[in-house]
Amino acid sequence: MFRAGKLAVAVTALLALAGGFVGVSAAVASQPQAAVTGETYVIGTDTTFAPFEYREDGELTGIDMDLIRDIAANQGFTVEIKSLGFDAALQALQSNQVDGVIAGMSITDERELIFDFSDPYFDSGVQMAVAEDNTEITQYSDLAGETVVAKRGSEGETFANSIKDEYGFTVKALADSATMYDDVKAGNSVAVFDDYPVLAYGINQNNGLKSVTEKEQGSSYGFAVNKGQNPELLAAFNTGLAELKSNGEYQTILDTYLEQPAPAVASGFFGLLSDSMPALMKGLGLTLLATGLSILIALVLGVLFGFFTVSASRVLRGIASVYVSIFRGTPLLVQAFFFYFGLPQLTGQSIDVLTAGVLTLSLNAGAYMTEIVRGGIQSVDPGQTEAGRSLGLGYVTTMRRVVLPQAVKIMTPSFINQFVMTLKDTSLLAVIGFAELTYQGQQIYAANFRTGETLLIVAALYFIVINLLTMLSNKLDKRFNK
Amino acid sequence: MSKISVQGLRKSFGSNAVLKGLDVEIAEGEVVCVIGPSGSGKSTFLRCLNKLDELSAGTVIVDGFNLNDKTVDLNEVRQHIGMVFQHFNLFPHMTVLQNIMLAPTELKKQSKADARATALKLLERVGLSDKADARPAQLSGGQKQRVAIARSLAVNPDIMLFDEATSALDPEMVGEVLQVIRDLAAEGMTMVVVTHEMGFAREVADRVIFMADGVIVEEGTPAELFGNPQQERTQDFLSKVL
Repeated sequence: MFRAGKLAVAVTALLALAGGFVGVSAAVASQPQAAVTGETYVIGTDTTFAPFEYREDGELTGIDMDLIRDIAANQGFTVEIKSLGFDAALQALQSNQVDGVIAGMSITDERELIFDFSDPYFDSGVQMAVAEDNTEITQYSDLAGETVVAKRGSEGETFANSIKDEYGFTVKALADSATMYDDVKAGNSVAVFDDYPVLAYGINQNNGLKSVTEKEQGSSYGFAVNKGQNPELLAAFNTGLAELKSNGEYQTILDTYLEQPAPAVASGFFGLLSDSMPALMKGLGLTLLATGLSILIALVLGVLFGFFTVSASRVLRGIASVYVSIFRGTPLLVQAFFFYFGLPQLTGQSIDVLTAGVLTLSLNAGAYMTEIVRGGIQSVDPGQTEAGRSLGLGYVTTMRRVVLPQAVKIMTPSFINQFVMTLKDTSLLAVIGFAELTYQGQQIYAANFRTGETLLIVAALYFIVINLLTMLSNKLDKRFNK
Repeated sequence: MSKISVQGLRKSFGSNAVLKGLDVEIAEGEVVCVIGPSGSGKSTFLRCLNKLDELSAGTVIVDGFNLNDKTVDLNEVRQHIGMVFQHFNLFPHMTVLQNIMLAPTELKKQSKADARATALKLLERVGLSDKADARPAQLSGGQKQRVAIARSLAVNPDIMLFDEATSALDPEMVGEVLQVIRDLAAEGMTMVVVTHEMGFAREVADRVIFMADGVIVEEGTPAELFGNPQQERTQDFLSKVL
């Protein structure tokens, strides 16, 4: 498979050119694998790429996972797996947030410019599948005039594009396997082009599709480290892989996932509900934690910068205005990527995902809070300030006793609104691998392909929590802002 | 010595000159009414006396404090000068009693108990003893303005400024507010009253100032100014309002 992230490649190449120092360490010679003994390495991986990596009962499993763990055991080192998502894992590797990446990643020329790859550990290939009840499409020539779907930037997409003119169909790109299969089942596309092991696994999980063609010759998957980094880890991987191949363990792993897939038991909706609840509750806990921390910090930032906006000092007003325009003027998603991937590259200081997430959300919400505070203070009649000042009360006392009590009352509904927005915005942190509610939902349907039902449960959880919190907030508002 | 001394006072908002050089001396215990068409600068003049508006040029000395002196504590000066606004500006989130007690307690002039006793006395004086625990929203305009006067008096000022204190009131409520101001005048309070109530000015004022276009056009005793105005602009204005 070939999920490109061409932009990431280009950016990295530019960075490497700009600061030659990035590549200097590439000269370090390969160390004997004994160097890895007793070491712990952080390995990044995808979130949703069954059968290579996926979650079963909350535990990461799959071919890649078994392979890296067995190799680690074989070579005497320890791994700490970080399930980040494919693009995120590659970015984490480039910023040295992780030591290596195993994520069903094809070895390509472009990637070899920025990463060092192990020996290939799996030969993949593209295959076409259609809906189970579809009897009309059995070969490429039946696709004339139809739309097919493939994963964005993947080998499947490249292959589909290479034959679309010959057979006269249109290619649509989506982001992950589960969504593509749903697209085919829903009839939006007639067929899907995907990596055969992924497709085979999904079909065995009753994803409602069947494969109708033989697999095309494809590329090979490799384990990657950052260019010039961790050569001993790469060497240990190669040695371990060779040993697993010769002692048969390698074949056992493949058979586990490809030849004899775990029999899929299609439990009912309530079965899904009770199976998914532990993971979802864990996610909900993190969602609430991130929301709570972010809102508290945002409140402090909002009050601070809000006072700046109404201050007499031009400098303070300028600072507040720059802050607000930066964080209101850029997408939250870009901010999240920046704090998690960009900042470590700039500072050399790695940052954990909760910190990055809370940093993003609190700075973003703080900008909106600033505007709420400014609006609240400015909406209090200036006559109130004049009355306070004419009584001989100072600026601070007038603010504290006269203006703010009235402003807070005006601001409260907007505060509650922002609170709800921030809670929902936590779902965006799934893209940097923060294991909140939406992320947990994605993990579940990536493994069981029951996208609709799972998302319904996730949405219901958000709905219940948000409405409970809104009711509570309104009650408090009524009680304290009579 | 004058209680209020104003020399060459100028005030501009941007390029708009509102006060174009005022000279006024007001003695202790004197009641001065300021009349004139709207836009003449009456209110701005009043607001310069406690520096709610910054002075553009000129000197203002109030109760011995030179307002041009940067070292003068403005909050201290303002405790000597009560101000009553056209729109009352009561604090809506506080009861009547809390409105009156706020400044004395925040300024540490009185203990809470003393401030409360003073506030109740002031409410009695303006005839609103029964409204101590009411919220401003529950009061009529006239009642609100009487509470506002009581609030200003709570810091025990030497001077009172009234900025069109009855202009926002329904006609039937003007009388009750004017009565309170009249009582204050009788007690010897130094007062500057910007007003449209010519009858009141004639009755209460020791001196009447007529302003137009940012200058003092004419001043004198009520008998002089209302009975025998010298300037054409004064005659013109009075003929329209009387």
